[in-house]
Amino acid sequence: MKQVLTLPALVVWRTFFWTYERATWQYDLWVIVILAFVWLTPPAWLHDPMANGPGLIGWILQMLK
Amino acid sequence: MTFTGTIGKICMFPLSAIIRLCVALRIHPNVLTATGVLTNVAAAWALGLGAFIWGGVIIIVANIFDFIDGKVARELHEETRFGGFLDSVMDRFSDITLFIGLIYLYAEKGRTDYVIVTALAMMFSVMTSYTRARAESLIAKCKVGFMERPERIVLFMIGAFTNRMAAVVWVILVLSVFTVADRIYYTWRELNGRIRVEDELEHRLAEIRLSTPRSRGAGRR
Repeated sequence: MKQVLTLPALVVWRTFFWTYERATWQYDLWVIVILAFVWLTPPAWLHDPMANGPGLIGWILQMLK
Repeated sequence: MTFTGTIGKICMFPLSAIIRLCVALRIHPNVLTATGVLTNVAAAWALGLGAFIWGGVIIIVANIFDFIDGKVARELHEETRFGGFLDSVMDRFSDITLFIGLIYLYAEKGRTDYVIVTALAMMFSVMTSYTRARAESLIAKCKVGFMERPERIVLFMIGAFTNRMAAVVWVILVLSVFTVADRIYYTWRELNGRIRVEDELEHRLAEIRLSTPRSRGAGRR
């Protein structure tokens, strides 16, 4: 299946159909993406019942307004 | 050296000291496993009350017990197959307990949307473990997919300490779905590959049988 995939599709395929070990650069990269999502996404976008404050992206957007 | 590897190595310093202490005190590994589960119940209680910081602290304590039990068993030469089985079963209890704490919290807040999201995350987290266990009864190894127990636990800690539990539940849900799909696909591929190998062996055996002179078989009769 991988042979028919183009490079971007292959990256997506390998990201979600994960076969890498822990403590590899691919693992580090995915951890950074996950942490970015958790910490940067404004809680209001997810309708988070518990979080307070706008989050980093929300704060930046407020500063830009 | 990767940054996750560095964090792992740094965490191993205090953990090694705790393991040495437990070995010196000759604490039975099953006691550590049981303590881990009970501590996770306390963590779930804290999450259920919305006390995320306390929840995070208790999750760390609980998972120290969960992490060291196998290593203490090895050091004390008390590794048994039953111990391994008990550890896996108790890990599932611990996993589910934390999710139940969150489900209670969101139900209390009247947020049925997050009750469903958390329940789905719980279901796929259990299925992540089940698919691997079931797959490894058919194939040698099925260690694929990102969202395994250590990742879930670290995410719970991050969500608790930084008060971003909703985002964490979404991440656990989405990546657990992919992990389950990944394991099903991997097992299917491995089994098909094995079937192909078995077919080829069967074919070669048939060829050998055909090329063998009939007189030898007749002689044996």
